[in-house]
Amino acid sequence: MTVFALKGGCVSLGGREVLHDVSVRIEAGEFVAVLGANGSGKTTLVRTLVGLVPLTRGSLEIFGTPLADFRGWPRLGYVPQRLSVGGGVPSTVREVVTSGRISRTSRLRRMGRDDRAAVDHALEDVGLADRAGDAVATLSGGQQQRVLIARALAGEPEVLVLDEPTAGVDADSQDTLAGALGHLSSAGGSVVLVAHELGPLADLIGRAVVLRDGRVISDGPPPSPEGHHADPGHVHVHPHETTGPTRRSVLEPPTFG
Amino acid sequence: MSLLEFDFMQRALVAALLVGLTAPAIGTFLVQRRLALMGDGIGHIALTGVALGFLLGTAPVLTAIVVAVLGAVTIELIREKGRTSGDVALALLFYGGIAGGVLLIGLSPGGSSTTLVGYLFGSLSSVRPEDLFVIGGLSVAILGVVVVFGREMYAVCMDEEVARVSGLPVRFLNLLVAVTAALTVTVAMRVVGLLLVSALMVVPVATAQQLTRSFRATLWGACLLGMLASVGGLVLAFYADVAPGASTVVLALGGFLVAAGVGALARRTT
Repeated sequence: MTVFALKGGCVSLGGREVLHDVSVRIEAGEFVAVLGANGSGKTTLVRTLVGLVPLTRGSLEIFGTPLADFRGWPRLGYVPQRLSVGGGVPSTVREVVTSGRISRTSRLRRMGRDDRAAVDHALEDVGLADRAGDAVATLSGGQQQRVLIARALAGEPEVLVLDEPTAGVDADSQDTLAGALGHLSSAGGSVVLVAHELGPLADLIGRAVVLRDGRVISDGPPPSPEGHHADPGHVHVHPHETTGPTRRSVLEPPTFG
Repeated sequence: MSLLEFDFMQRALVAALLVGLTAPAIGTFLVQRRLALMGDGIGHIALTGVALGFLLGTAPVLTAIVVAVLGAVTIELIREKGRTSGDVALALLFYGGIAGGVLLIGLSPGGSSTTLVGYLFGSLSSVRPEDLFVIGGLSVAILGVVVVFGREMYAVCMDEEVARVSGLPVRFLNLLVAVTAALTVTVAMRVVGLLLVSALMVVPVATAQQLTRSFRATLWGACLLGMLASVGGLVLAFYADVAPGASTVVLALGGFLVAAGVGALARRTT
């Protein structure tokens, strides 16, 4: 089953085209990293996949349904890039995570036992069960990032799309995050994430889509690091100047050491 | 002399209780969305509606409802565009609302800007029996919206993009919050006045969150504090012979200072 099928996708933001003719197919069960330098269009690509940014040309199907007709939103989980959990009013960790369950509940039906169990499970998955009653603003940045991921997990999505989940996150939180995504993946779920540094996620990734200047320049198995690039948490992306259909390694061979 | 001996005070107290309950209820969602001043903007616009009622010879509360709802929808649509000019567009709407109100009241027979003072700052004697039905009906509608749509509104007010990917009807919910806020403004205008409506939507929320950790507790706490402030303000206004809007808001602000002090102490000791 194909989760996302983007064909010839072009996207313009503020009158400037930032994605040019991008085609990506992501199958169920895949664990895909979207890599690239700042401004390469990574975030725009994942925002396009979840329907937040309209295509100016091309087509997008989600679970085989054209975006305009797609209604299976509960099957999707999305974790935007946020510095903190937003809002001008205090919320407990549990309240934020529970709000992620909303796609699975209906307007007049209160939370049932299944819903509460899903919220509990999501909190445990990110290691925050003991902080459920705390105000989310009292948590560290890494912990707040985990709250955002638990919010998406509470909806029990088949595919999870994350925008830079590891940015500015401490090592402990990165490990917890890798564990939670590993669980989802081994249960058959798909994961698409934008990353700058893969860190402990590197082992989970089965495929890397590399963008440069709004074009896919490489799509295939993640490069196996060598030399000092093999250090944990050390993943460099050095896209080549040339673009084209040839599949190239995204890692330059180490020039020393 | 008991203040309950007066029919107008009985009506004003019922209205104050309803306002104290509903204004912070919807205000909590506005604060969550960081739109604390939206009530202010709607209040300014509603003044044009009040004056229009005088000009047309119909009940000002009805024209105020229509104009406030239209204004709130306009504000929301401008906000949705997300342009930087939205800020200025909002300011233009606010000034237009005040100026339009004063202009229309000047044109209406026998009207002058002093006619509007009771609507700007609230007035004890202005709650007529038929107003009470409108206020009661609107209050039920506002609380109904919060009860039925509260969870969805919470999700949208916290993170609009995630709500969109969850498949929530984001635009509908945003408009619902805006329209509900507009209804609240018209409910509250008799008791606290259009210029101070927003204070009753925001100050009890700010007070409650000094002492709370959860959204739910903030919402309920704000409603309780709102009712205390509006009823207390009304009683104060009766005995001190001042505009009830002023006494209500001063009480609410006093409550905020106390809560901020207690909250700071509590955080220091834990």
